[in-house]
Amino acid sequence: MLAALLLPSLLAGGAEPPADAVSLTEPKVLYRPNEASATRAPWIQANGWRLLRSPDRTFVYRAKGDAAALSTAEAFTYGAKALISADPPGEEAFGRMLGFLKTLPEVDLSPVADFGVIDDRTDVSGELLNLLTRSNLLFRLEKAPDPAFAINVRVGSKDYPLEEARNPSVLAHRIRAQIGDDNRSLRVYGSETVVARLLASGNQARVLLLNYSSRPVMGLRVRVKGSYGKGELRVFGLESAQLTDWTADGPATEFTIPEFRTFAVIDLPRN
Amino acid sequence: MDRRLFLQLAAAPVLLGAEETPSYKIVSHYQPAAGTHAPGPYRGQVARVQSETVIDTASKRVDQASVDRMLSAGMTTLTGQRSEKDAWASFFNAGDLVGIKVNCSGAPDMCATPEVVGGIVRNLMAVGVKATNIYIYERFLDQLNSVHYERHVPQGVNVFAVETPRGSLLNYDPKTYVEVSFFGEDDTRSCLARLVTERFTKIINVPNAKEHQAAGVTGCLKNLAYGDFSNVARSHMREKTNTLSFIGTLASVEPLRSKCVLNIMDGIRAIWHGGPIPETRDYDFYPKTMLFGTDPVAIDRLLLDMIEEKRKAEGAPSLFDRSVDLIDRSRGAHKNSHRNTFIREPGHIEYAAKHFGLGEYDRSKIKVATVEA
Repeated sequence: MLAALLLPSLLAGGAEPPADAVSLTEPKVLYRPNEASATRAPWIQANGWRLLRSPDRTFVYRAKGDAAALSTAEAFTYGAKALISADPPGEEAFGRMLGFLKTLPEVDLSPVADFGVIDDRTDVSGELLNLLTRSNLLFRLEKAPDPAFAINVRVGSKDYPLEEARNPSVLAHRIRAQIGDDNRSLRVYGSETVVARLLASGNQARVLLLNYSSRPVMGLRVRVKGSYGKGELRVFGLESAQLTDWTADGPATEFTIPEFRTFAVIDLPRN
Repeated sequence: MDRRLFLQLAAAPVLLGAEETPSYKIVSHYQPAAGTHAPGPYRGQVARVQSETVIDTASKRVDQASVDRMLSAGMTTLTGQRSEKDAWASFFNAGDLVGIKVNCSGAPDMCATPEVVGGIVRNLMAVGVKATNIYIYERFLDQLNSVHYERHVPQGVNVFAVETPRGSLLNYDPKTYVEVSFFGEDDTRSCLARLVTERFTKIINVPNAKEHQAAGVTGCLKNLAYGDFSNVARSHMREKTNTLSFIGTLASVEPLRSKCVLNIMDGIRAIWHGGPIPETRDYDFYPKTMLFGTDPVAIDRLLLDMIEEKRKAEGAPSLFDRSVDLIDRSRGAHKNSHRNTFIREPGHIEYAAKHFGLGEYDRSKIKVATVEA
């Protein structure tokens, strides 16, 4: 289970973080219009995979302005112990996000995963974890293959050779194909800059949506595998928000988030 | 791109786009409408109207009176009705809420001519359609705004951009879509505009006569398909595109297929290379023609001939030439009429006929009634 409401803290007044704290990059989108790209997809600078890889470590973000709010939300999403070092506008943004996080109902939920990854802690595996996270392919890090999963990825194994993993994008695509999009527990449509996480228990689920772009996402469509009743939407920066275009007539539940800029949380009661 | 690199990429379908037809899933709860389901009542029939006076090619000024005569001649010739009003009334009535799907991707120089759109609006109103029940629409606001259609239509007519701001899905129907993965993209859905599913009773499709670097030409089918659905540019990210099958698949989706009751191809101006968004005026030409029909395939088949004939006259490679040597992905390369960014897929028109029955592709079976206005 995730610790309920593990909230990041502000590293105030130029204080130094603990010596063993892991420094993270400022979460954001890097637009590289002049670089060749296979997809024209923007490059997301996200830390989710680092947070998942070292759940016992303390992390420190150095963020400016609104990036401090996104940093706070990112750490919260992955249940990480995090300190936020920010400039004055960033401290204000941190405060607003912290206030929002405190309004969320406390829940005891576990991360949902569609496959396992045995992490050998190499850079190659790290980049694969990064791409899997950014592609919203939900994995659980394991020490050994978990028989509960049909797919367990170990870079360097016969099924997932190191040579293939050196192009992590191709390997991520192959893993996605092995799972099958229809079988994925969570999907998002309508943005290339949103990273999602799904937590669930026997009677409810929570979807957390991080937007790494500075532009708001309009009309994001979310598909959650399983049957859920109409959920509650909470959007950072908006007083009230409602899910729209609800459908729950197949093997999955779908809904639309009309607008969010940085962070949105949806709580779903299981039918 | 050099030939060796291209061939390497061509051998890697995951990266370049599958050689095989992608697996499409169409999600729609709308049923075909009897009578208007494309190709509609005039399968394989096209009324072609010519006018020497419709545009002054030096000043680019369009003559409204000539446009009006062309619209009248086209509609009466297509329907066999004696009067213009009866011709329009055979398609539309006072209870309709009509969308006019313009094409503004090359605007303001190349777009559905405002005088044509204005003429269509007046004819709709003449048969009782309220101004407020008419929507001139396109996907992108900046392109639409650059034309200023509002100056050519009565007050009350709506000028509406579906995707405002760009990337927003709010005006698309998340329950009516085509799902397909071309290259492992995250977002695999293309959703149909809500106006089409929820509001319009009928649509008039007004494409331009343009060459298209990926699709070969962009006519009725492509204006409907890529102009009414979200997330379509993903079909042509790489040299080998998926336009061959994607265009017809989208155009076949209900209720779009049944609500588009009339196609009026605006061929007053045309471009024979560098489309759909020309960066030079070097490839403009002036067919001074309009094509009328309910069969989008038949009209697009004639468009293929029109563009192909012009390219041949200009000494440019055929639209059907798939030679790798033509491909040049460097910036601005497509300004050279002997180079292209993609392998063109003009076969998308025949594909739409063969796989979806969207109309008549066989030229020998297409009846063209040509009139002067």
